[in-house]
Amino acid sequence: MKEYTYIPEVQRIFTCTVPGENIRQVFLVDGILQEEENRADGVFLTRGPEGKGLLLNINKDCTDRPIQIISVRSENLPQPLEFSNTWMLEPGAKAQIIVCDHTLKEYLYSTLRFSNIILGEGAHLDILFMQNEHGRSRYRLDLNVELKKNARLNCHILSLYGGTIQNKVQVHLLGPGAACYLDGLYLADCEQNTEYHIAVKHHSPNCHSSQLFKGILDNQAKALFNGIIYVAPGAQKTEALQANHNLLLTNDAKITTQPQLEIYADDVKCSHGATIGRLDEQVLFYMRSRGIPLAEAQMMQQMAFVQDVLKHVPNPAIRSRLEKMVESRLRGEFTKCAHCTMHCC
Amino acid sequence: MLTIKDLYVSIEGREILSGVNLSVNAGEIHAIMGPNGSGKSTLAAVLAGRETFTVTRGTALYKGVDLLALPPEERARLGLFLGFQYPVEIPGLTSVNFMKAAVNEQRKYKNLPPLSSGEFLKLMRQKMAVVEMDPSFVGRGVNVGFSGGEKKRNEIFQMAMLEPQLAILDETDSGLDVDALRVVANGVNTLKTKDNAFVVITHYQRLLDYIVPDVVHVLYKGRIIKSGSKELALEVENKGYDHIINKE
Ligand SMILES: Nc1ncnc2c1ncn2[C@@H]1O[C@H](COP(=O)(O)OP(=O)(O)OP(=O)(O)O)[C@@H](O)[C@H]1O
Ligand SMILES: [Mg+2]
Repeated sequence: MKEYTYIPEVQRIFTCTVPGENIRQVFLVDGILQEEENRADGVFLTRGPEGKGLLLNINKDCTDRPIQIISVRSENLPQPLEFSNTWMLEPGAKAQIIVCDHTLKEYLYSTLRFSNIILGEGAHLDILFMQNEHGRSRYRLDLNVELKKNARLNCHILSLYGGTIQNKVQVHLLGPGAACYLDGLYLADCEQNTEYHIAVKHHSPNCHSSQLFKGILDNQAKALFNGIIYVAPGAQKTEALQANHNLLLTNDAKITTQPQLEIYADDVKCSHGATIGRLDEQVLFYMRSRGIPLAEAQMMQQMAFVQDVLKHVPNPAIRSRLEKMVESRLRGEFTKCAHCTMHCC
Repeated sequence: MLTIKDLYVSIEGREILSGVNLSVNAGEIHAIMGPNGSGKSTLAAVLAGRETFTVTRGTALYKGVDLLALPPEERARLGLFLGFQYPVEIPGLTSVNFMKAAVNEQRKYKNLPPLSSGEFLKLMRQKMAVVEMDPSFVGRGVNVGFSGGEKKRNEIFQMAMLEPQLAILDETDSGLDVDALRVVANGVNTLKTKDNAFVVITHYQRLLDYIVPDVVHVLYKGRIIKSGSKELALEVENKGYDHIINKE
């Protein structure tokens, strides 16, 4: 049996070792930062307005050590909670952030996080949202990102577990040369409900954006994908792509997908597409004809389906952990992991 | 090894096989020829367990087991292999992972522990050499973006990995250039022992110069209308099916 290290001053909080050794962990319990305001290695952090949420300021001195923000809902606050974060990368700063959300009890938690991210000129941010609560929780993320000239955002959202998950994401490309890679993966079963409202707005010329969202829905699960690419007048030489692909495992699962383009410039390359499909019988037969049992073949096909989203996650250690998590999620073994005291990831 | 008796198969109420009889013994190579649409692939698919077809009559015994009662994966584990006429593409799944899963399922069935990564890679390299396959192929998605000939070569590679006892190769020679044809034939001949058997479905006598069959069958409108020695393939090639059909 593995020994878990508890953060001494916070009861019932765990040490998560999912992302590997060299990581800076920041805990929020019920929206409240669990450490004093401090500044180290180019990272300044403090509480937000009304003492809630997290303000981060990252400058060029930031090392390549990832920052993991672990936000937990405790049993002390079963009521709905709202808080807002502001994370700012100074010009030229580079950072890697992993955001994990957990619940300590199976209460009907409802949490709304407003997150504002500002990327200064030439700043690079790699950010991963792990949405991993429980079947009765209500998870809401309202994310607003601004990218200045030549800034680059690499953002992955993994909706693994939650009663209702709502993601509202607005990305504003404000300076020329800004680039945004935005991916999402949603796996829902039972009565779960997942929504993505995505808007990528090209306000400036010569910007690039690329989005890939994939979902697998089982049982009576429902999902909505509402994605818009907006290109402002004058935002010439825009390149913008968006794809949304869905796999439905049952007749009762439902997906609504609405990809939209709103383009007010003429010299642009934009494309979008959406598909809804089922497991491919021919592929299943091919696998079975090689001795792979039906259930395993179904599993392998689902893993194959999500592969390109996972492939985009740049950190190899995190990527291979994610692969395992997604696999156990799809096998219905969720959510037990040897890596933490929570049965979460 | 395989005994098919009076096999009738239909799909959506349409009869495709109408009383096939075929007997294959260990150590033999059988060739099945026949015009387009005569039911060759259907026969192969039904033997491999494709569920879209309905067997309305007849039996197929494989090593004494009622083959038709088993799901496809169990047939595979008992040593049956189908080389697909149209191999399927699987984006997102590499050949390495696909074959690892397949080989380890087979080992599980034989109560053997899974191969270590090292052992598996060694086995794979060895089998790739048999079909002269470039190692870069196995890191790609299964058949994704492969040319027609590369897909067929990949089928033989998979066969070499799984070392089946009865391999049914459905037009593995179609679309192959002469070198690839030699490679595929060489793959079959390397794997051939006195304990296993091959059924090769082909349109061309050419393949049978490399893989010499013990028996050649002509399938026509869902029945085997003629069986004979390898000279029958020459007769088909030279005189066409009409000649044989009219004679029967
Ligand atoms: N899924 C299917 N649905 C309807 N008809 C089918 C299906 N599969 C096969 N058939 C029909 O069954 C008949 C036999 O097909 P099959 O593929 O077995 O022929 P074949 O002998 O392999 O032909 P070829 O030499 O062209 O490969 C054809 O008329 C075909 O259209
Ligand atoms: Mg055919």
